Amino acid sequence: MLNLPRRPLQLLRGWPGRGSLFHSSPIAWASLKVLQKFKLADIGEGITECEVIKWNVKPEGVVQAFDQLCEVQSDKASVEITSPFDGIVKELLVQEGEVAKVGQGLCLIEVDEESLDSNSKEFTEPAQPEQEAVQSKVFETPSQPSLGHLEKALQLRKRRPHPLDPNHPPNAATILNSFSKNVLAKPAVRHMARELGVDLNRLSPGSGRDGRIEKGDLERYLSGGTKDSSVSSMKQPQESGDVVVELGRTRYGMWKAMEKSLEIPHFGYSTTLDITDLHSLLPRLNACIPPHYLSAPPPSPYTAVNPSSVYPVPSPPSVLPSRQFTKLTYLPMFLKTLSKAMTEWPLFRSSITLRPSTDSQSKPALTVRPHSDISIALSTPTGLYTPTIQCADTHTIFSLAAELKHLSHLGRQMPCGLTPAEMPKKGGTITVSNVGAIGAGDFASPILVPGGGVAIVALGRAKWVWDVDRGDGKGERRLKIGVSWTADHRVVEGAELAAFVECWRSWVETPERLIGEAV
Amino acid sequence: MLRSFSPLPRPRTFLTRHRLSTTSIRHELTPQHAIYVSNSINPYFNLSLEDWLFRHKDHHEPLLFLYRNSPCVVIGRNQNPWKEVNMTALKARRIPFIRRRSGGGTVYHDLGNTNYSIHLPRSSFDRHATAELVRRAINTLGIDVRVNDRNDICVGYEKVSGSAYKIVSQRAYHHGTMLISTRLDTLGALLKADKETMVTKGVDSVRSPVCNLRQFGSSINHETFINAVIEEFRKEYRVEEPIQWVNDGEGVEDIEYVRNGMVELPGWDWAFGQTPEFTYTILPKFEWGEVTIEIRSKHGIILEAKIGSGDSGTQEKMKTLGRRLEDQKYGFVDADVVRDVIEQDNRCRDVWEALLSAMVSYRYEP
Repeated sequence: MLNLPRRPLQLLRGWPGRGSLFHSSPIAWASLKVLQKFKLADIGEGITECEVIKWNVKPEGVVQAFDQLCEVQSDKASVEITSPFDGIVKELLVQEGEVAKVGQGLCLIEVDEESLDSNSKEFTEPAQPEQEAVQSKVFETPSQPSLGHLEKALQLRKRRPHPLDPNHPPNAATILNSFSKNVLAKPAVRHMARELGVDLNRLSPGSGRDGRIEKGDLERYLSGGTKDSSVSSMKQPQESGDVVVELGRTRYGMWKAMEKSLEIPHFGYSTTLDITDLHSLLPRLNACIPPHYLSAPPPSPYTAVNPSSVYPVPSPPSVLPSRQFTKLTYLPMFLKTLSKAMTEWPLFRSSITLRPSTDSQSKPALTVRPHSDISIALSTPTGLYTPTIQCADTHTIFSLAAELKHLSHLGRQMPCGLTPAEMPKKGGTITVSNVGAIGAGDFASPILVPGGGVAIVALGRAKWVWDVDRGDGKGERRLKIGVSWTADHRVVEGAELAAFVECWRSWVETPERLIGEAV
Repeated sequence: MLRSFSPLPRPRTFLTRHRLSTTSIRHELTPQHAIYVSNSINPYFNLSLEDWLFRHKDHHEPLLFLYRNSPCVVIGRNQNPWKEVNMTALKARRIPFIRRRSGGGTVYHDLGNTNYSIHLPRSSFDRHATAELVRRAINTLGIDVRVNDRNDICVGYEKVSGSAYKIVSQRAYHHGTMLISTRLDTLGALLKADKETMVTKGVDSVRSPVCNLRQFGSSINHETFINAVIEEFRKEYRVEEPIQWVNDGEGVEDIEYVRNGMVELPGWDWAFGQTPEFTYTILPKFEWGEVTIEIRSKHGIILEAKIGSGDSGTQEKMKTLGRRLEDQKYGFVDADVVRDVIEQDNRCRDVWEALLSAMVSYRYEP
């Protein structure tokens, strides 16, 4: 096997759509929270008060719009009251068996500022309405049109027109398909979209919880389609040629998340890993990728005999084309070794659980998970996401490669094909970002956001260097990669992070250990 | 199916004007028709079917559902069965009581009583309008009835119908009874109030004198009543669809929502476990003295039982007895939890027997 010097670089860069600057997920981004008092509305028919029969939620319970909150009774009418907001119930103001008057507060719900209906009387409009500017999308990683084989990664990628590009009109078929079940939106929003002829698929995922499309997303979509692409409609261009560009939805979400991240005391730790052994392992593993992961499986090596002659060989599970790949990269190997290190270090398999302040045990706690859940930073044409690979320790290196392939395939879809199944709310406990795919960076200082786990690591680009510590003083050519860790100092000590990284190193630099552990 | 009655022939109705448009039961019943009449007299089936129609019909369309039940007592969503219903009489007649999903008070159903249920979008729901619809229907049968200020239909000062309502975010229904030829003596016996010392947080029934419509006109029976209501409904909401007849035993109870309802309604959790908080004071007298028992219960579970006796000697044992009752189901206390106490002490045994008769309950197994 020829060892082309450029090869590892290509392989790293060859991960389509991967890599970005900073690592946060719209799902994990916490927006400003507002406490809304939900009042007993006028039920009509001259009813002035009702008895609360039953609460269907408890304080700190999560509630979504249209979930049943409680049941009340007034003389002969039994009324079910549903929540107008998505949020968390903070306090029940009227207990079961007590009487509430019309107009009296029933409960307090904490909502995301964004998710409040703009017509809500209690709420004032945000100072800066979000307007999507096409210009803000220019700098994002271009998409790859085909379901990429890694070999095509070096080809020039064709840029897909952005959905808000005024030159990119929706066609009738997409509008007719606007109510696909995979699109999350409240019924009121769907109705509005239907009336306005907007295809909800284009907007998915929206800015609401779990990627729900909100009314604001619809409004922005409509105003964005008619706007001039270079100038914001809000302000006149200044004399000097300065142009004011409003922050796009995703970027504003990043803003808010980063402000929240200021709560987390970060500390960093960087080192380089020697991946020469992994590098020599790679071609050998590539030669024995299990056939079900290959789109063009090689012919069976058996001609004269058949292993199934006595008893059928168990057939491997069928694999979707989006999961098939042709070559392994380093990333699945890093993830596997990381999951091994996480098994040895429960601290890095845990997430922070904040207890409510009303609880007598108001100290925060760590929830340790039995498996290693790792999130991957994925930069796509529609924005930055961090889907999670759950139970990474139960995956083989090949199945991790298949998962990564599948995630990037979904991410590259326009609109984004990532669903809450790939981005569960609880997320991962460690996030990995392959910054090295973008440029020749060695080290970075990534930022953690609340909900993003206890640590995050940025992988730089692998480089061949002359290592003077090896080869009995004469030195040796080794392939090294810079890794930069940031961790949450509220729960992780510096020494613990360093030790964990050393544990990871012992797996990465001695890949033969995986054989002993039967992977 | 209920077995506490002698099976009656399934009512066959011939609606001459609508004969051609009567549809036969299809294998799949959909909730998108406008007029449903149930041929089943199983109250669990009918109530579950009503709820299914309520939750699954298009929000904007009106719906009418008519049914009658074999003998049973139906209490409101938030009522206390022990207070509203005479359990001893219930037990003696092996008649079930059922908690419905709408509010309001307690009624008695039998085959002489027909129930109507009108479902409308919430925005256009008006109790008075729906009550008026039924009143007009009865007027066409030659009986002069009026709607009182509580939207009940009366003849004079006697009620012939009680109503209740359920309102959810997009939809509401008004359903009610209609006494056509009900056994009023049974009604009186079952609904007799005799527990003044039970103070309950839920809704108390507003008791009224009642009478049957049959007393005022011989032409009125179940069939003529439902025809009249259907006709009035068609006129009011401009509905031309044929009637959808529903029989049980033809697959409708295989609809998951209906099946779940039929299981939930007779279960302890719904029938008794939805009882709001109440306190009950019992003052039994024995030859050896008087005892004061105060029971506090919520959701059908005894939270606290304070047994006070003037005699300090038995006080301790009474306290033990009281503590044993905590967390037990009211009316269904497991005798084993008190066995040792009552076996050791005769007075405790007397108190226990008094408790049992005060807490008498009847749980119907369909």
